[in-house]
Amino acid sequence: MSILEDPALARFVSGQMSMHVAACDARGFPTLVRGVGYRIDPGQPARLRVLVPQSQSEPVLRALAANGRIAVVLSEPASHRTLQLKGGDARVESVEPADVAAMAPYVEAMVDHLRAFDTPEPFMRALLACSAGELAVVSFTPAEVFGQTPGPQAGARLASGEAP
Amino acid sequence: MRLLSMDRLRNCLEGVVPSGIATCAPDGTPNVTYISQLMYVDEAHVAISFQFFNKTRENILANPHACVLMMDPDTAARFRILIRYLRTETAGPLFERMKAKLAGIASHSGMTGVFHLRGADIYRVLDIEPVQGRELPPVDHGPALLPALRRSVDALAACRSLDRLLDTLGHCLEQHFALEYQMLLMPDEAAQRLYIVTSRGYATSGAGAEIPYGVGVIGVAARERTPIRIIFPAAEYAYGRAVREQLAGGELADRLEPLIPLPGLAEPSSQLAVPVLAGGRLIAVLYVESAQMCRFGYDLEDTLVALCAQLGPSIVALQTDAADDELPRGEAPAAPAAGPPLRVRHFARDDSVFLGDDYLIKGVAGAILWKLLRDHQTLGRSEFSNRELRLDPALRLPEVSDNLDARLILLSRRLTDRNAELRIEKTGRGRFRLQLSRPVLLEDA
Repeated sequence: MSILEDPALARFVSGQMSMHVAACDARGFPTLVRGVGYRIDPGQPARLRVLVPQSQSEPVLRALAANGRIAVVLSEPASHRTLQLKGGDARVESVEPADVAAMAPYVEAMVDHLRAFDTPEPFMRALLACSAGELAVVSFTPAEVFGQTPGPQAGARLASGEAP
Repeated sequence: MRLLSMDRLRNCLEGVVPSGIATCAPDGTPNVTYISQLMYVDEAHVAISFQFFNKTRENILANPHACVLMMDPDTAARFRILIRYLRTETAGPLFERMKAKLAGIASHSGMTGVFHLRGADIYRVLDIEPVQGRELPPVDHGPALLPALRRSVDALAACRSLDRLLDTLGHCLEQHFALEYQMLLMPDEAAQRLYIVTSRGYATSGAGAEIPYGVGVIGVAARERTPIRIIFPAAEYAYGRAVREQLAGGELADRLEPLIPLPGLAEPSSQLAVPVLAGGRLIAVLYVESAQMCRFGYDLEDTLVALCAQLGPSIVALQTDAADDELPRGEAPAAPAAGPPLRVRHFARDDSVFLGDDYLIKGVAGAILWKLLRDHQTLGRSEFSNRELRLDPALRLPEVSDNLDARLILLSRRLTDRNAELRIEKTGRGRFRLQLSRPVLLEDA
């Protein structure tokens, strides 16, 4: 069973979480970008498809194309439950209609999540704005998963069946 | 690559929207997480709160480079900053500023009790990259600060007495900066405490109320001599509660001191305490607070620091010293006080003074009041001078920087707060009058 098919993890991931995507270049310099959505393609259930705005992601996409090593942090704002997925086979994908379609519900969910923190809706919409033509998609197979909910246990590897 | 200055990006560092941080393990594996607090240090340095030993920390100790994605909380403008870890501070002004700020952020994000600051990790900013994306128009927060500062320094420079200076300060903060709730406290170095001299915005001035060094934002600002600013509610820094807890549980519990209630908001959402220094000495602490979150930004902090840089030397210059004091002029016959006598008790142990059964004041201010009342009763005097107070060995005023003027201001305001039938009224430079609207019955307990 792949990591994404683990029921506890799948439940968490399906919840539309706040997300950042990181990569490192050959010099060991890290870089990152905020994601604007993600989805799992039923045809490739072991791979997570991560949506990012092309123009904001150049350094990340360059590093991923060079070495395929990726880290993605997913966090539920209201509960701070957070996990990090890491993989070594990241690749840039061609954008599919289902990727474009995944963006709008993601933005709506994030607006809802952040309302609890009095974050104004226009702010969240500006932060996550990305036109269909601007979208880039990266996919990878999560090989490791770490709990990252703030606290002393942050960073511990999650066992199978364990949610953050 | 274009190098912007962090000076222009300080709004991104307020912790309103959590930033992401990416690091790189020695084997080239990226790691990404959220950071609780990113703090401005100067134009080329930031600090990140170190709370837990985690992968980010492990990575930066091995490979000091990190990348932070931060956002302006108003406009959503995004910046990627490449930073390099330098060192960790575990005490001192920067650490205390971060600790206070973290308490606010923890409370804002529901993480009180989870966040515990081990250290402030200091990073050099190597590069700042603006990241494209939709932005909102910039937002005006309150009055334009430089004109407000200019008007205030002009007004302060025109003041010729300490009480006028303090009134003008309060007026300027209210009128030019729209700061509704404010206090000015002065230190009692020997007792490691601050006492309120003046305040604005509260039902009573709280003059004479005390805050120990190190307690709440005011006490920490005094101890560390650094501004402390919190822009979210932070219960552990709400000084009213902090002082009560210290009195209840601390070494002072057995003393059961008579306490003048602190004025102030029960749950301030924004707090800022700025130390007022002159010649390396702590002269006062200026404190402002608001019921509104995110009310006090980095720029307001800088502006009040600049204002206080003028305030400190002005306070020192306007404190009268013995050479300035005029002798009392001829006594104007005081109108005889009428009505049943007011019992005034004095306890020599701490110079505390009670009006009837109610605590009024203690310490030097208590000793001064007692001297005035005794002289009034035995010698029939009402007019007094600062000089004679300075020469009175019983008052034990320090030879330098005795803060006598400030103590008289606080005594006068405390009497007004209590609606007491005693008043102290300034009659000239270094001169004042004791006014009684009731006879007094003095008891030295």
